[in-house]
Amino acid sequence: MSKVIEVKKLNKSYGSTKVLDNLSFEVEKGEILGLLGPNGSGKTTTINSILSLLNYESGTIKIMGKNMTPDSFDIKKNIGVIFQDVAVFDELSVFDNVDYFCGLYIKDKKKRRDCVTEALKLVGLEAYKKYTPKQLSGGLLRRLNIACGIAHKPSIIFFDEPTVAVDPQSRNNILEGIEELRDKGATIIYTTHYMEEVEILCDRIIILDKGVILASGTSEELKELANIDEKITVEGIKVSKKILEELNNNKNVDEVHLQKNTLKVTYKKGKNNLVELMDLLKKYKVKYSSLYSEKPTLNDVFLSLTGKELRD
Amino acid sequence: MILFKTFWKIVNKYKGFIMVYTVMLVIFGAINMSANDNNMDFTSSKPSISIINKDSSLVADNLENYMTDVSDVKAIDEDSIDDAIFYRDISYVIYIPSQYGDALFSENPLDIEIKSLGDYEATLANNLLERYLKVQKVYLDESASEEELIKSINATIISATDVKIKSKLDTSSVTRATSYYSFANYSIMAIVIFIICLVMSSFNDKNIRKRTIISSKSIKAYNFSILSASLLYGLIIFILVNGLAFILLGNIMFSLRGIIYMLNSLVFIFVSLTIALFISTLVRSKEAISGIINVVALGSSFLCGSFVPISLLPDSVVAFAHLLPSYYYINSNDLLKGIEVINFSTLGDVWQNILIMLLFSLIFIILNNLIGLYKRRAS
Repeated sequence: MSKVIEVKKLNKSYGSTKVLDNLSFEVEKGEILGLLGPNGSGKTTTINSILSLLNYESGTIKIMGKNMTPDSFDIKKNIGVIFQDVAVFDELSVFDNVDYFCGLYIKDKKKRRDCVTEALKLVGLEAYKKYTPKQLSGGLLRRLNIACGIAHKPSIIFFDEPTVAVDPQSRNNILEGIEELRDKGATIIYTTHYMEEVEILCDRIIILDKGVILASGTSEELKELANIDEKITVEGIKVSKKILEELNNNKNVDEVHLQKNTLKVTYKKGKNNLVELMDLLKKYKVKYSSLYSEKPTLNDVFLSLTGKELRD
Repeated sequence: MILFKTFWKIVNKYKGFIMVYTVMLVIFGAINMSANDNNMDFTSSKPSISIINKDSSLVADNLENYMTDVSDVKAIDEDSIDDAIFYRDISYVIYIPSQYGDALFSENPLDIEIKSLGDYEATLANNLLERYLKVQKVYLDESASEEELIKSINATIISATDVKIKSKLDTSSVTRATSYYSFANYSIMAIVIFIICLVMSSFNDKNIRKRTIISSKSIKAYNFSILSASLLYGLIIFILVNGLAFILLGNIMFSLRGIIYMLNSLVFIFVSLTIALFISTLVRSKEAISGIINVVALGSSFLCGSFVPISLLPDSVVAFAHLLPSYYYINSNDLLKGIEVINFSTLGDVWQNILIMLLFSLIFIILNNLIGLYKRRAS
């Protein structure tokens, strides 16, 4: 696979605050790269720097092997961007909005009409093409925002938190649309602070915090960094000190946490942790209302790397 | 081309505003024209007075005849004089005492008594009476008889002077044209600035602008499209305003004077365009734009004599109005009303006003670029 985007030693500061610190990464052709991090971690600044919307102090950015500058129009024609904030004209219809942004790249009217129709179909807005943005719900508006960014069929697409404040149905529709774009050969850079989305969508994930890459890899590779195998939660339980002692003495247990009537046990390893815990509770005749097991998430990875949660 | 087309699609969304301001121009322009449609004929005003003449001499009768000629004399019974003054039926009363004529040639002449309301008409009547009495006094010593005295007085005093203003101008048409174009100051500013600012606020939306910048369209091409669309819009407003002028004003628009009125409006539309682009760079909120337009268009119109003639405005307001382009546009319209023969040299002040308006445009263009540059650097 060839490298579509190369970012090397990128540095950017706002006053005395460093927002990007020696950031380096690459994006391969046809992959979906997820930039995951809490608010203020530098995701949007990274995208804006790549797109030459922001100046940066040092570093190099290459797209399709060429240096990216504000006047790189031959590169820009291959790029589509879906910003976090909806960018559409209130006065124009859905169709005219997509047509305008597509028209910034494609002059031929017939070709453009086909592209606009295809984009509206992809985001499921064909039935709304005569509506104005004010007549659309928040979710439909987000879909229109996406259609405006992809209508000219770019080969590199940046999605900057496209699902913020979107209903579940629209979110699924957006995620399916992004997968479809990838299947058609587009390279996608996707930023979010929703870890579930990157887990579902991304081939590779970069975890960012304070402008520094904390870790990168596939979802599975990153989860290994958390050093956790399983988390078991028992609700509606009253446990004695004896049980807690026994759990703490288990060499597979990483952490035992009791809060009110909820017991949380984190295991580093072990294959039958759930059965063993149930046997222990049975042995002491402890009653509980529910019990469930979870695999580690990217939030756990972030927690183990930074000591704080992604959504803190 | 897509930018150009989108500009017009957005303008089309605001066609209601354009129609409202056009209707306002027609209605209020027509009202303004008819209100100023005077024929400039001069008629002297006559004060309302009453004369109580208790003498039957020739001198007394001559005075009464003179005052009857120059005043509106009302026959009122002596007992009702005070009521007539109170109800302002008359402003001035002249009492000519008995034996006034005989006593005039004696060593002890009798005085003429008066009652006055003290208003403008009373002052005018008093001036007329004093004028007569002064002439009478001048000729009294030289005259041997009442007949001789009356002859001398009448030869001197012309009881009424006809004043006629002779001009080659069709004053009625020119006054109507000036009224229409001066009122158009408000409509032009409102239609041009309001619509351009609304359209530009959409294009200048932070996120839309970001999308445009990252597109393969260069900033130069973007600016060229916006500028050419704005200029075409200005040209359409020029055709609209002057098309209405042809309908409402008729023949005068086919004269050289009409062409100068049109040229003046064209330059003013261009100034309004530059103001609009400047405001749209400065302000991005559509809600704020509406308020700013009211201040700019209405304020300029009031301060520069679009609604009220500049001659009726206080000196301080007129001095401030010199800082606004509307003043020079309206001033040119006023000048065109007074110029008898239109040629290059008589239009000197009009050319000067047009030059000042173009200077204003240049200032707004420079400010627009500087602020745009500052904002781009800041972001």
